[in-house]
Amino acid sequence: MTDEHVLGADLTIYSVAHWAERCRLWVMDLDGAAGDLPLQVQADRVEEVDGAGVQLLLALSRSLEQRGRRLALLRPSPVLLKALQRLGAGDLVVQQLAQEVGA
Amino acid sequence: MNMDTSDDDLVAELLPAFIEEANEQVAAFEQLLLELEDTPDDHERLDALFRCAHTVKGSAGLFGLHRVVEFTHHVETLLDQLRDGLLRLTPALSTLLLQSNDTIRELVATAQLPDDEASRNARQALAQRLQEAAGHSGGGAAQASQPTGPAAAVLPPSHRRWRLSARFGTEVFRNGMDPLAILHYLADLGRLEPVACDRARIPELEAMDPESCHLWLQFELEGPVERSQIEHAFEFVRDDCELELEDLTAGLDEHPADSAHERLQAAVAELRQLAAPTAAASSTTAATNAAASPRPRESSGTGGSEEGGFIRVHAHRLDEVINLLGELVIAGAGASQLARQTRQRGLIEANQRISRLIEGIRNSTLKLRMVPIGDTFARFRRVVRDTAAELGKDVALEIVGADTELDKAVVERIADPLMHLVRNALDHGLERPDDRRAAGKPAQGRLTLSACHESGSVLIRIIDDGRGIQRDKVLQRAWQRGLVPQGVQPPEEDVLRLIFEPGFSTAEQVTNLSGRGVGMDVVRSNIEALRGSIQITSEPGQGSCMEIRLPLTLAIIDGFLVGVGSSRFIFPLETVVEVISSRPDAMAVDAHGRGCVDLRGRLLPVIDLRRLYELEPDQAERHSIVVLRSGTRQLGVLVDNLLGQHQTVIKPLGRLLRSLRGIAGSSILGSGEVALIVDADALGQIASSATRGRATRVAADPASMPPAGRPESGPSSRTPSPTGTPTPSHNAPTAQGHAQ
Repeated sequence: MTDEHVLGADLTIYSVAHWAERCRLWVMDLDGAAGDLPLQVQADRVEEVDGAGVQLLLALSRSLEQRGRRLALLRPSPVLLKALQRLGAGDLVVQQLAQEVGA
Repeated sequence: MNMDTSDDDLVAELLPAFIEEANEQVAAFEQLLLELEDTPDDHERLDALFRCAHTVKGSAGLFGLHRVVEFTHHVETLLDQLRDGLLRLTPALSTLLLQSNDTIRELVATAQLPDDEASRNARQALAQRLQEAAGHSGGGAAQASQPTGPAAAVLPPSHRRWRLSARFGTEVFRNGMDPLAILHYLADLGRLEPVACDRARIPELEAMDPESCHLWLQFELEGPVERSQIEHAFEFVRDDCELELEDLTAGLDEHPADSAHERLQAAVAELRQLAAPTAAASSTTAATNAAASPRPRESSGTGGSEEGGFIRVHAHRLDEVINLLGELVIAGAGASQLARQTRQRGLIEANQRISRLIEGIRNSTLKLRMVPIGDTFARFRRVVRDTAAELGKDVALEIVGADTELDKAVVERIADPLMHLVRNALDHGLERPDDRRAAGKPAQGRLTLSACHESGSVLIRIIDDGRGIQRDKVLQRAWQRGLVPQGVQPPEEDVLRLIFEPGFSTAEQVTNLSGRGVGMDVVRSNIEALRGSIQITSEPGQGSCMEIRLPLTLAIIDGFLVGVGSSRFIFPLETVVEVISSRPDAMAVDAHGRGCVDLRGRLLPVIDLRRLYELEPDQAERHSIVVLRSGTRQLGVLVDNLLGQHQTVIKPLGRLLRSLRGIAGSSILGSGEVALIVDADALGQIASSATRGRATRVAADPASMPPAGRPESGPSSRTPSPTGTPTPSHNAPTAQGHAQ
């Protein structure tokens, strides 16, 4: 599953509509699956991110929470990590990964 | 502020930038204040005024310039009262603020020098007046500006802790703004403490338009950060963001600085950004301040704000380009000449195209040095205001054509002569209100400074509606001073020009303004040093007009090329009046090459360049006398050949030739020859030193003059016009120039 959930290089206002569509599909896929595993998204390719990109990830996180799941961003690129921490969304990475490791 | 050695180095490195930018703030402060005198209730200007003082204070604090901080604080307090409507800007208050601004300027300039007692006392007295004006008797004024209490009132901006809440509007992303970028910026200013994003406000993915912004951020910022800096960070989203700002500093201990470098650079950066006072103003209360309330942007006219991409370039870099350009012009002319010699049409045309391009580059490059004269004019608002008050006069200053551009070097060098003329108009021209009313004029006098472009030069006029110049007084004084022989009545237009003669002054009462040893003659010579000219017209009882004509640039002139033997000389074309032909034996010259001829009944001093500069012996059968204008006088210069109009790149003289009298510079001709550019005024002085005594006598009684020489054909035979080319010479240049 992880292989399918990969964020691209650009996660900014210019591509956020595209990524919103992709995220909705990922969530819909999860609806058919059992369990409450986090949605694991590969984030190491992100080279550019802005507030809109982080907001999208937060919205994705909210949708998942509604379904009793969580978002786990895997190996976030430094630029994404910095952006998430700046906007107080560092937990999407660190805590979830910790759970992942612990699991 | 504790600074270690590396901090000291940083301060030394960044201080010049601070001083430069602080001076801009001080200048903007003065300008805004003077504008506010006309519109005392203009809140935008009041805000901008406050920001100027606030910015200087904040940045000075980062540099540890406590004197600046301490004093500016009092100014800021008073401005706060004005902004809050507790006080109104009266002329007296305005004067006090202007004086205070002068003090700030001085404090910035002397920031690194030790304080001296006299200025400290003066400063304290002024601070006392500021406090009194603000109604401050240990009461609310200081506290209003500094919510953290009296101790913080005189502290330089140090560590602060701010709590921020920023609720961004939905259109922020679509407007190209990025809250993340704002946070990055703030993180550079200080430590960004836990940022909380209200996730409940972010819709679920299914319901969300990902391009709408739903971010509501709450965080704390700690560091040497001023409120204005934070507000500045949000400036571009201020119409689309609800910003709440709370100062948590009360009770916070001093922290060691995170990074002096960051703080200092932020200070300079902030000054630069705020040089255009458009940022939202700082609040006056300790409570939260909704800085996001929409405020219209200030027009560029109110504070010199400039939109668009500007690059600050050091003037010497431009000078380098212009020097190279000069070389290019010369090299281009040389190539064109060689091309013509080959008679190959293709080569000639290619060279012509290059010449046109060079001309285009030249024009564009010279434009880079062009600056509007408005900044210089604006300085006079203060001069007029203070001087008029000092003299008990009421004068309105009108500025016309402030956006007229001319060469930076010219602008800088014209400021002093203009200052003198403005003071002169105020001192001698404009009358006191009573006198004006008695003369049937409005009590308020009018002084107009105007600038415009006219036929390739800049025309600056200083017009007053005062009493005008009394010709009879001028003449009386000229007779007394021996400038004109007793009893001789010069032509009407010459009488007014007498005021430009050295040592002339008609002020019956030596006021504080005049009598400073700088006369109108200095004004004239300064203007002429810029290759400009000054004309004066005056109507008794109606006023006077000084008209200054200046070249657009100092780097390139239109010249009139002449030959003496194998040497080449260039006269600035605007100094050339006419050309008359002459026989070699028509004039007797002394050992220094000085002589004179009778030009239509007037004595014309003549300089023989061959004799003056000891050039090779005379071969020519016919000579020409080029009549030059030098100030109010004329002089002739004896030359062999007239070689026509020549656009000339002025190059300075080398050290060896700098002491050569009568030569202002050099130029290289297309052929590679060196031509010397003649300084008409200096030649005029050489000539008049020999002929003045005779000229005086002759002017009194022309009939008694022994004719030293006469032009053969009387009136001019060739007269170059400013735009046209004089008739070609009768002798073509033959030898190579040997001027060094």
